[in-house]
Amino acid sequence: MTKSIKVALAGNPNVGKTTLLNHAAKTNLKVGNWAGVTVEKKEGFVSYRGYDIHFIDLPGIYTLEPISEDEWIAYNFIADEKPDVVVNVIETTNAERDLLLTTELLEFERPMIIALNMSDEAKKLGIEVDAEHVGELLDVPVIRTNGRNGDGVEEMLDKIVESAERPRYPRAPKYEEQLETLLDRIQTEGRDGRNDSGAHHDKLTKRALIKMLVDSDGRYEEKVRLEKLYKKGIDGIIKDERYAFARGLFDETFRKRKSRNRDITDKIDKIALHPILGFFVFLLVIFLLFKISFDFSTPFMNWTEGFIDNLLAPLALSLLSHVGAGKWLPQFFSQAIVGGVGFVITFVPLIGMIYFLLALLEMSGYMPRIAFVMDRFTHKLGLHGKGMIPLLLGFGCNVPAVMATRTLENRRDKFLVMAMIPFMSCPARLVVFSFFAVLFFPHPAVVIFGLYLLGIVIGLLTAFVLRKTAYRGKLSHFVMELPPYRVPRIRTVFQITWVQVKSFLYRAGTLIFAASVVIWVLLNTPPNLKNQSDSAAAYVGKAITPVLAPIGIKDWRISTSLIPAFLAREIVLSSMGTIYSVDIQQKTTEFHFVPALETQLNGLGEATKESLMSLLTPKIQTLQTEGGDQNLQNVIRSSFTPASALSFMIFLLLYTSCLATVAVMAREGGKKFALLFLAYSFVMAWGVAFVVYQVGSLI
Amino acid sequence: MNTFQGAPKEKKLTDTAIADSTAQKKTLKDLSIGEAAHIVDFFKENDAVKKIEAMGLRRGKRITIIQKLGRGIVVKISNSRIVITSDVAKNIEVE
Ligand SMILES: Nc1nc2c(ncn2[C@@H]2O[C@H](COP(=O)(O)OP(=O)(O)OP(=O)(O)O)[C@@H](O)[C@H]2O)c(=O)[nH]1
Ligand SMILES: [Mg+2]
Repeated sequence: MTKSIKVALAGNPNVGKTTLLNHAAKTNLKVGNWAGVTVEKKEGFVSYRGYDIHFIDLPGIYTLEPISEDEWIAYNFIADEKPDVVVNVIETTNAERDLLLTTELLEFERPMIIALNMSDEAKKLGIEVDAEHVGELLDVPVIRTNGRNGDGVEEMLDKIVESAERPRYPRAPKYEEQLETLLDRIQTEGRDGRNDSGAHHDKLTKRALIKMLVDSDGRYEEKVRLEKLYKKGIDGIIKDERYAFARGLFDETFRKRKSRNRDITDKIDKIALHPILGFFVFLLVIFLLFKISFDFSTPFMNWTEGFIDNLLAPLALSLLSHVGAGKWLPQFFSQAIVGGVGFVITFVPLIGMIYFLLALLEMSGYMPRIAFVMDRFTHKLGLHGKGMIPLLLGFGCNVPAVMATRTLENRRDKFLVMAMIPFMSCPARLVVFSFFAVLFFPHPAVVIFGLYLLGIVIGLLTAFVLRKTAYRGKLSHFVMELPPYRVPRIRTVFQITWVQVKSFLYRAGTLIFAASVVIWVLLNTPPNLKNQSDSAAAYVGKAITPVLAPIGIKDWRISTSLIPAFLAREIVLSSMGTIYSVDIQQKTTEFHFVPALETQLNGLGEATKESLMSLLTPKIQTLQTEGGDQNLQNVIRSSFTPASALSFMIFLLLYTSCLATVAVMAREGGKKFALLFLAYSFVMAWGVAFVVYQVGSLI
Repeated sequence: MNTFQGAPKEKKLTDTAIADSTAQKKTLKDLSIGEAAHIVDFFKENDAVKKIEAMGLRRGKRITIIQKLGRGIVVKISNSRIVITSDVAKNIEVE
């Protein structure tokens, strides 16, 4: 029988807790170089030396006096759930700061392990620590770890198992003498009174004693005397004692050598945080983000399309005809699977590239700096400085962005930021834009950029209005850590990208597949129709056309596509793909596997070359390559004018057409808030699209 | 949450008392870019101060101002950098 050990990872934000867990449990949990990446309890499991080790990764906290929601989650777990062992991860280079939390954790008098992480950076900065001495002083196992390469993680697992076999209780920190005497007295009284101490023996923990002392009002005259002596409340005295203990521990065990390595962060920050240059750095970063994700992925998207249309699809079709499948199956296959799901999969290179670049950005440490540089503009519009981070995350995906509002200390700020996030355009929207913008506009990059900007403006407008009405009040202060710049580990960046691409592919195989099947079935209901516009699918679409006609969407094929798109926006493309591919004449060319495969392999080489070359030009070339599925493009083109295409994109940008986002908003902000916002976003989307379409049609 | 709320009168009193005594005291807000100083004390004991103390801005520590922009101030303290806003910075006495 294997025994299980419950291990909590606790520590200050951004010290590498999740990174260590990813090494230990081979998980792919989200990491990033800024404070507040983990905002909920995350888990990892390892079987090690006959034990099932159950890790719980907690949000980072500076002190066990929680304020924001994510801090409460960490605090509640440590205080209530009684993990078997707490692994206290410390950033060696910032140990003096981190040791406050260590001191507080020691008061729980429960088995603990200290992991001195970032040992590589400490070495570079010339910071030396006598780990053995720390261990002796606290009676806690102390190990050195390096999250970059996983050094020390095995030793951490060893110590966890040891601690499960022979629990080792740390020495509680010793404070000021009179305070200790007083705590001793409460201990003796408590022993006579109740016995539910929670400690390993029937003594109360230091933590419990302190709580009793703080809550005791005027019961102890020694307390009153102490407060008079130090001219502050007992909680203030205790706080100072904790700081003094941490400081003493630090001075006793840490040394700083002179190091010749100069800190590169200060140098970069001279430019990146500069009042004027910093702004241009920000613009440059945004430009590169767009440029690289468009130009690099376009050749690969074209290739993927060819791969599906010229190799996979014909291969499957010829196999189907070999086994003698009838008329329906091949039709279903080329319309619902290739036309619908396959169409969306074509965009994987774009999605992958964006996530890759965003991961690079998040791992570099630049992200919170954007919040600092932009705060002078955004705070005038009522946006809280730290609220910028969830907004930036929104460009990756709105769902984790909404979760990230947990790090905001003020409820008003939290709701305000939540009401902005859905207007930040995510890659799913970009996929739709990149298809339509190329089809209808000579400068698609400008159009797409404009749409992103429009989202931001509507978001800011929403914030501004809310500040003046529902969430009135002074803008609260903020404090935020700026991490050192770190060279991203390419493997980690690939891992993060893969997690995102995998979830996109998973969606394609489940949600998008299901939506395509339903659409296809409805298109063929009732069976043996001559005209698709008499089908059930057309019927549904026509029913909502009156609502959408004023914004230029008059074709039932588009309105029908919009309905399942509420599940996820990219479904609008797969649905259109399915509906329109019915109109496309199937080519019945001969298919030969080997030459087709050769063409594809050659094409991949070409695409790679083209991608790399495109990076050398300063301009965004954007998706402007010929080829692709001309047929599909032509039929879709016939359903739109440039004005209605633009209005369609605006509608999809602003309307929260994403079930996952609405669900997470309901969880974080309540059902009422989520539904109200959904309605608001619909009205906003419709209104703006209406104006754009009507004005655009005049031109 | 806020334990001080029970005694508004007392709070007001100390606030004005502080206002008088802070007239000549130098605060972190007064420092300019590149300047270094030691933290002497905090004028208030609110949530924000508790938080920045936990983040490393503690009495006796030496700090350097890296950048100031709008209401934001980037403070370097040993190996970490913290952004605080000026309404927090004005409650930190330095010398
Ligand atoms: N150089 C170096 N970097 C590390 C080490 N461990 C982690 N990192 C980096 O530090 C950053 C923070 O890592 P995370 O694992 O996300 O930190 P966390 O403690 O989970 O952070 P929160 O969830 O925000 O509290 C990432 O950029 C990691 O790549 C290490 O030992 N050395
Ligand atoms: Mg984490």
